Amino acid sequence: MEPTDDPKLRKLLKEWQVPGAPPSLDARVLARRERWWSFLLTGSIRVPVPVGVAIAAILLAMSVALVRQPAVKRADSPVSLVDFRPVDDPHVRVIRGQL
Amino acid sequence: MTDAEFHEAYGRHKDVLYRFARRMTGSAAVAEDLVHDCFLMLWRNSASYRADRGTMRSFLIGVTRNLALKRLQRERPFDELEENSAVCGPINAAGRERGEMVAQAVAALPPLQREAIILAEYEEMSLEEIARATGVELAAVKSRLHRARENLRRTLAPLLETKGAA
Repeated sequence: MEPTDDPKLRKLLKEWQVPGAPPSLDARVLARRERWWSFLLTGSIRVPVPVGVAIAAILLAMSVALVRQPAVKRADSPVSLVDFRPVDDPHVRVIRGQL
Repeated sequence: MTDAEFHEAYGRHKDVLYRFARRMTGSAAVAEDLVHDCFLMLWRNSASYRADRGTMRSFLIGVTRNLALKRLQRERPFDELEENSAVCGPINAAGRERGEMVAQAVAALPPLQREAIILAEYEEMSLEEIARATGVELAAVKSRLHRARENLRRTLAPLLETKGAA
């Protein structure tokens, strides 16, 4: 290192001590290099609160809509067989043609 | 890069990079993010390191430094990275730890002066190493260090005048 002409300043600067890397960094950096599919078993993601709330609201709205959908169908009028008439001649006539 | 080489590089340089990032940004969480991103880059693109262009430490500090400056620019887009005319005034020493005051004085430096003083004084890198890590000429490093020390002498004058720093 280049010498400075001010040992007082250097000594004073050394009074600001910073610790080394925390253990949480080891976990993040070394875990990142595992197989991609291991993330599905052990991975975690950080989701901002507004995004989490929005996702929860959307899921809630979708589940409410799904629950209510069959009730609307049930309210439809039942099928009427009043105008139903069976076929008089069930024999089918096959017409052959030449290609 | 093999798994073993990556482990070795990580174990050897993580503390230096973390301390540098923390002093540059003033935040433990941001420093952790930066060092994480730096090693992720090394793992994904280890070919970008070339031993003939300098040490692994200089290379990784250069990467961390670029990530830190990008982040600073994103957070404060109107601040100049290198303010040649920046003059820092004396700090208020009343009722504060000396280390805390030094941290505040270093944080008040323009980013390019700050990185130079951190690498020189705390990581004890040579001028050549700093020039390689920061990608500038030797003269620019000398100039930044000179201005940083001048600023720090002014900022920390109340502490330098007391007997504790003698």
